[in-house]
Amino acid sequence: MLDVQGLRKEYGELVAVRDIRFQLYPGDVFGFIGPNGAGKTTTIKMLATLLEPTAGTATLNGIDIVRHPEEVRPLLGYMPDFFGLYEGITVTEYLEFFAAAYRIPKAQRAAIIDNVLELTDLTVKKDAYVETLSRGMQQRLCLAKSLVHDPILLLLDEPASGLDPRARIEIKELIRELGAMGKIVLVSSHILPELADFCNKIGIIEKGELLVWGAVDEIVQQLQANRVLEIRPLGEPDALIQRLERESHVHGVETRNGSLYVHFAGGLEEQADLLAALIRDGYRIAAFREESLDLEDVFMQITKGEVS
Amino acid sequence: MRALRENPLLRYHLLGATRHRWRRQPWLYGAAVLGIGLVYLLVLQLTVFNEASIYATLGLALFVMCIAAPLMAYNLFSLEYEKQTWESLALTRLTAREIFWGKYGAALARVALTTLLFAPFLLTTHSATTYVIAAAFTVLFSWGALLVSVGLWLSFKLKRTLTTAATLYAGQVFVLLLFPFLYLLFSGGSDPSTSTIEGVQSYRDGMLAWVASLFEGTLIIFANPFYLASQLNDLSVRPSWWWGSTDWDAYVNGLRYMLWGFAQSAMYLGLGAMFAGFAYRGVKISWRK
Repeated sequence: MLDVQGLRKEYGELVAVRDIRFQLYPGDVFGFIGPNGAGKTTTIKMLATLLEPTAGTATLNGIDIVRHPEEVRPLLGYMPDFFGLYEGITVTEYLEFFAAAYRIPKAQRAAIIDNVLELTDLTVKKDAYVETLSRGMQQRLCLAKSLVHDPILLLLDEPASGLDPRARIEIKELIRELGAMGKIVLVSSHILPELADFCNKIGIIEKGELLVWGAVDEIVQQLQANRVLEIRPLGEPDALIQRLERESHVHGVETRNGSLYVHFAGGLEEQADLLAALIRDGYRIAAFREESLDLEDVFMQITKGEVS
Repeated sequence: MRALRENPLLRYHLLGATRHRWRRQPWLYGAAVLGIGLVYLLVLQLTVFNEASIYATLGLALFVMCIAAPLMAYNLFSLEYEKQTWESLALTRLTAREIFWGKYGAALARVALTTLLFAPFLLTTHSATTYVIAAAFTVLFSWGALLVSVGLWLSFKLKRTLTTAATLYAGQVFVLLLFPFLYLLFSGGSDPSTSTIEGVQSYRDGMLAWVASLFEGTLIIFANPFYLASQLNDLSVRPSWWWGSTDWDAYVNGLRYMLWGFAQSAMYLGLGAMFAGFAYRGVKISWRK
């Protein structure tokens, strides 16, 4: 379990990360969302033990990352947003290098390397020189390197940046698989559709502050307390608009492309009552539906577009 | 010893990165090896047939070391920063000691190899005594070790490969050329060595002479490896221009009592250890190892 408690990082006057708290469990794939400069990378670097927090701490399976970085490091795999690879060696030699650096016994190395190559779909490239791989393959190799020591926590900072659509899909599949293997995966991105597919939890950070975190469904549900209803009336909408504005749960009505978008503060019961009332009052409704929120809507509702 | 024996980083720097360079530009490296090989054999032949002095052979070896040693260490840490590989390395279970020795050990091994390359020159030097040859080997290796130590530290500190290389070469120009030139300019152009060294009559005097040279500024001259090589020459043969105004035997004994060559080597190694220590400490602290 990863337990983050009041993690804070200050650079002089600037507070890059402000008292962040969250907990993740094995199998969680946590999407860490925020605009550029929000503090995602700083948080990840603190969790990766590369940066010392100004205050607060985090524990991984009970081990304090601030006080015992050397004990935590074998338990985590880290893929930075900008990374390089050692050149002049083959893919297998590269993984052997890291297997040796993680003190994996010699006898076990070949089998482990075969496994991670298979998992990252790089088996066919095992004898290729590292610098000859495409960007997507290098990304997968970097991930393979982060897996040789079988970490329980994976910190992936913008893993799909700079990849073509196919490589993006492949890396998404891989991350989903890692979550299914029971690893805690923390993956940061500012491209939301990228995360929506495979994260079961998200955290939205802005200006160094974690505005919201939790299961994706729960967050969407919380935000849908203020839902938007799309109503397509037949005929002139003016009378219907006036009728809707008299409703206590309605905070506003917008008209777009012949549809009315109603900002509605009620729950599902009130929503059903509204539809019944409109039909009873003789309004002819061609369509009545609730606009569902996706991760982008959630992000837009929560954030203000500020950086720390 | 584990820091050297089971060190993947040392193996990478000695074999992986080297193989990479050869493989990338095989024609360039092939031509360079062939060219350098021919020049090497030619110069060796000239050395043997022309009875070259230790000043010529050690001077040549030092010149090559001054050019080559910075190239052995200038990118050891800076490339980790430039290629963004240091974070991955820092997170492994390699200790700061292993990371340090992986890089420093590779650089020292190359310095040792360069020293060995010059063994035929030094060993065939005309009328050089065992003392002079031993001192020449020690000076050559320790000067190279000092350069790679400074290079390693600068590479860590500056984090830029080109800046490190430029600083190393510019630094050598200052230390080897400009500082001695300025000393001679302000001392009226007189050679500081003869009178000082003549007066050294025991090892105790020798030690005191070194301490005094530190305060008098003559250390800038005494510790210059090229100047040192010229004095080593005096330990081998009496030059034809010696007019007898100085007691030659006293002068040569003075050099021996000052452990000429070995003392400077100890200084180079001491300074090298200090810079290497800075680099090690840097890894330990800033990589949280």
